[in-house]
Amino acid sequence: MKKSNIATLLVFLLLIPATLYLGMRLPGRSYYITGTLIIIELMLPFFLAFEGRKPQARELVVIAVMCAIAIAGRMAIPIPNFKATFAIIMLAGIAFGPEAGFMVGAVTAFVSNFFYGHGPFTPWQMMAYGAGGMLSGFLFAKGRLPRKPWIMAVFGFLCVILWVGPLLDCSHIFLMLSGISWEAVAATFASGFPVNVSQGVCTVLVMVLFGRPLLEKLDRIQVKYGMMEDENGL
Amino acid sequence: MAHFQIQDLSFSYPTAKGKESLHHVNITIQKGEYVVLCGKSGSGKTTLLRQLKSVLAPHGKRSGEILFNGTPIEKVSQRDQSSKIGYVMQNPDDQIVTDKVWHELAFGLESLGCDQKTMRARVSEMACYFGIADWFHKDVATLSGGQKQLLNLASIMAMQPEVLILDEPTSQLDPIAASDFLNTVRKINIELGTTVIITEHRLEDIFPYADRAIVMDAGRVIADDTPRNIGKLLYAQKNDMFAAMPTPVRVFYGAEGEGDCPLTVREGRNWLSNAYSDPKVKALPVEVLEDEVANPALSLKELWFRYEKDSPDVLRGVSAEVPKGSLYAIVGGNGAGKSTTLKAICGICKPYRGKVKVFGKSIEKYKSAELFGGCLAMLPQDPKSLFVKKTVREDLAEMTKDEKKIAEIASICEIESLLDSHPYDLSGGEQQRSALAKVLLTEPKLLLLDEPTKGIDSFFKEKLAAILCKLKEQGITIVMVSHDVEFCAKYADMVSMFFDGQILTTDTPRRFFGNNSFYTTAANRMSRHVFSMAVTAEDVIELCGRNRE
Amino acid sequence: MTDAFSKCHPAVNFLFFVGVIGTGVVIGHPAYLLAGTVTGVIYYLLLNGAKGLKMILGLLPLYIFLTAINPLLNTYGATPLFYLLGRPYTLEALLYGGTIAGMFVAMLIWFGCYNKVLTSDKFTSLFGNLIPAISLLLVMVLRMVPSFIRKAQQIIGARKSIGKGTQKLQEGMTVLGALTSWALEGSVITGDSMRARGYGSAKRSSFVIYRMTVLDRLLVVIMAALMAFTILAASLGQMSAIFTPALDIAPVSWGVIPYTAYLLIPVALHIKEAISWHISRSRI
Repeated sequence: MKKSNIATLLVFLLLIPATLYLGMRLPGRSYYITGTLIIIELMLPFFLAFEGRKPQARELVVIAVMCAIAIAGRMAIPIPNFKATFAIIMLAGIAFGPEAGFMVGAVTAFVSNFFYGHGPFTPWQMMAYGAGGMLSGFLFAKGRLPRKPWIMAVFGFLCVILWVGPLLDCSHIFLMLSGISWEAVAATFASGFPVNVSQGVCTVLVMVLFGRPLLEKLDRIQVKYGMMEDENGL
Repeated sequence: MAHFQIQDLSFSYPTAKGKESLHHVNITIQKGEYVVLCGKSGSGKTTLLRQLKSVLAPHGKRSGEILFNGTPIEKVSQRDQSSKIGYVMQNPDDQIVTDKVWHELAFGLESLGCDQKTMRARVSEMACYFGIADWFHKDVATLSGGQKQLLNLASIMAMQPEVLILDEPTSQLDPIAASDFLNTVRKINIELGTTVIITEHRLEDIFPYADRAIVMDAGRVIADDTPRNIGKLLYAQKNDMFAAMPTPVRVFYGAEGEGDCPLTVREGRNWLSNAYSDPKVKALPVEVLEDEVANPALSLKELWFRYEKDSPDVLRGVSAEVPKGSLYAIVGGNGAGKSTTLKAICGICKPYRGKVKVFGKSIEKYKSAELFGGCLAMLPQDPKSLFVKKTVREDLAEMTKDEKKIAEIASICEIESLLDSHPYDLSGGEQQRSALAKVLLTEPKLLLLDEPTKGIDSFFKEKLAAILCKLKEQGITIVMVSHDVEFCAKYADMVSMFFDGQILTTDTPRRFFGNNSFYTTAANRMSRHVFSMAVTAEDVIELCGRNRE
Repeated sequence: MTDAFSKCHPAVNFLFFVGVIGTGVVIGHPAYLLAGTVTGVIYYLLLNGAKGLKMILGLLPLYIFLTAINPLLNTYGATPLFYLLGRPYTLEALLYGGTIAGMFVAMLIWFGCYNKVLTSDKFTSLFGNLIPAISLLLVMVLRMVPSFIRKAQQIIGARKSIGKGTQKLQEGMTVLGALTSWALEGSVITGDSMRARGYGSAKRSSFVIYRMTVLDRLLVVIMAALMAFTILAASLGQMSAIFTPALDIAPVSWGVIPYTAYLLIPVALHIKEAISWHISRSRI
């Protein structure tokens, strides 16, 4: 059995249940810390697998480039309230497969916070973006869904509205609310809704206007240098 | 034993349909040698150099053998190759991997898995040897191009290589940084005995010190001799590469000199003083500049500009008048504000005082569509910043729908055969011309060029010059900012000196460079004690010719 | 930067913040919360000077808003203050809201300090040996971001000077596309440069520019001891604070001393260095 698979098993069978148990036993407010620890533990197998695989130079560089474009694009292109970040993460997943998608998402979230400031939401954001990138890769890179701009756009919109946004809102719920009541949860999701919709719309716009040319560029690089051929992802 | 032995090496790329990029190459390089490899772009220099390091060797069909210290290169372990064969590439920026200077210095050692103690010792040693200690803790983003390339070199030297391979390492640097870099390479060769194999456009700084020069053409080695003999050979063969030889060599053979060929300005001076000790004709006719320019194409009046509120002024009262239909060159050091002046003319930077007038009308009074549609356009320093599509043709089509127009401009810029290529598959000179074509499609009457000769070899420079002449004939006014004094001396109508945020003097190239004694061309430095106002190799050759009659 | 704690080994910085944030999000006892907030504010102001005051004051409205809104969303508690739309607005919910909001605000302040102290290069250096590939990936992204911003600006400038750049969104996408092409082509050279310098030819080691000093070791021991006492106090129930159904807050006991001492470590170091520098200068 591969080392990374053992790590995954350990995490799911031991670490997460142990965290949950301790979290329930801990006096005081432990929702946030328990939730955050579980988020980190869930990401752990992916990071370990990447680490254990000893990635090639070109693979590392391409992932780094995609992350840096997702971050720099937001800072350098002066359109207010416009964030292409998640769209670029999705496209990276679509072009390079689920594992690259996850890494691009998680690392983009983490490193962008060196520029915008880390906060209690950092691990949650990493998970949200990472899993989003991975899912895009899982669905589109393997041909489960056709790479048509409109399909990518709809998927991107749903992904932001149903996954990325709510997960970030969850970190707020755990951190800022005293009790998990229906009203409180609904209020938090409602307050986050406009932001999520605006992000979703940005993702749709990028996919429709830019999805195809960007994928062509990414494919060109892959063809030209025959990289990441043997990546199997999930 | 030879350090590198290349035996009957042929190579073809998989896409080349059997056309060989390297054709039966035989070269032997001894330990400690300093070898310069020259040839036009596309002659196979880079392909050859990359064969000398397995990880960089491109895919393709290869025959023949390369021996490194007597062992076939494929049998030398990757680890040994990494540490023993250092390879510096062209682009200073893209080679850097990490974000801090100290980390970059240690990168190679980290890859080899060195322990902390060794790394500390090597890194500190390198920082001192290369004078990096002052910027050891800096972010690489804050370094200049010259510093970046020096860092790349230092980071490779930290692994203590036996051979240093440099592929046009200074093509992206300004002349001062370039000669600093080449001096460091020479120092490494002399003080450490490291074997150096280098390709370069700027042969002036290398030729006198190289042990051997190898000339390549169309994948073949056409000459392999000492630098002094190479000039003679190329002159006898009437090879295109002769144009790339250092000025003293070109003057010597152009003026049918006798005896040993001079390689440096000093040797050139000695040769000239012996051969033309008392010349009858001392100077070529000098055209005088008119003081008042009637109806200038561009006039700048007292421009003042700074990037941020508290930062120092970059432009400190720039004034200039450019006559219609001329090629106007602005020369000067790095960071003096030359490029900023061009940006101010385009309105990308807004001067807080002063006026820019284009064809007699202040640029604020132009609408953007009017100014950039048929009046003014700029070719940026890096042609890559203009490419947004996947073929050159699509990029040109972004500017106009008129296919006839595209065909016409493509023929002026000589890029017809490149139209269906991806812009990034082109060489530096080809990219430059494609970008120029894109700019010309706005049909500018005033064309601004920012460092148009950066990174292109002498052959492409002449091509560019020919294009600029054609444009001038069509009545286009050209303003060019450049470090390349040789190019300005040869082709400009007027030259201005930019220093300390202002334009200090303006004159015709002959008078401008003829009156300078440091900031001038090699031809002038070599001949100023015998002739006056001879600023290009052609000037000197002509004067020699007249005196021989 | 002249802050003494920032000059300590990154591991010390990291452990300290893990301790602060780990306890900060769990402990809901008002006395401990107050200690966390006050020490956080002091350190934040030491790090940021007068500019930091603006951010601290800016957190005040947030605190009040979060406190006031809690009773609207939660109706537990036995002491209704008034009724709003038929729902009770209780004292317990208000106090609990104040505590939670305080924890949140304190976290923001401490994260502000974290961002200033544990800079990106310290973070990557810390994990360079543990996760070499990911740590290198982070370093590469950090190196590329400023370079890509500059490239994007060059593209925007170049396009402006040929009269492009009017339709905003479309233009933004074009610039992003051009940047992507440029960056990906450059990445090939970066990859070559890595392999040329032996990447992948051996097990990577990591050059650590930071060294553990005696002070660093001492700090680790002190931090561990103080944290142990804090946890001991917590397990004795000293930090229990129950707001529902009725208020039941443990009396303030000795546990607050090691906790506050832990939180004051950076401030103490900062002041100690300022004083000793002052003394050494006056001796000259």
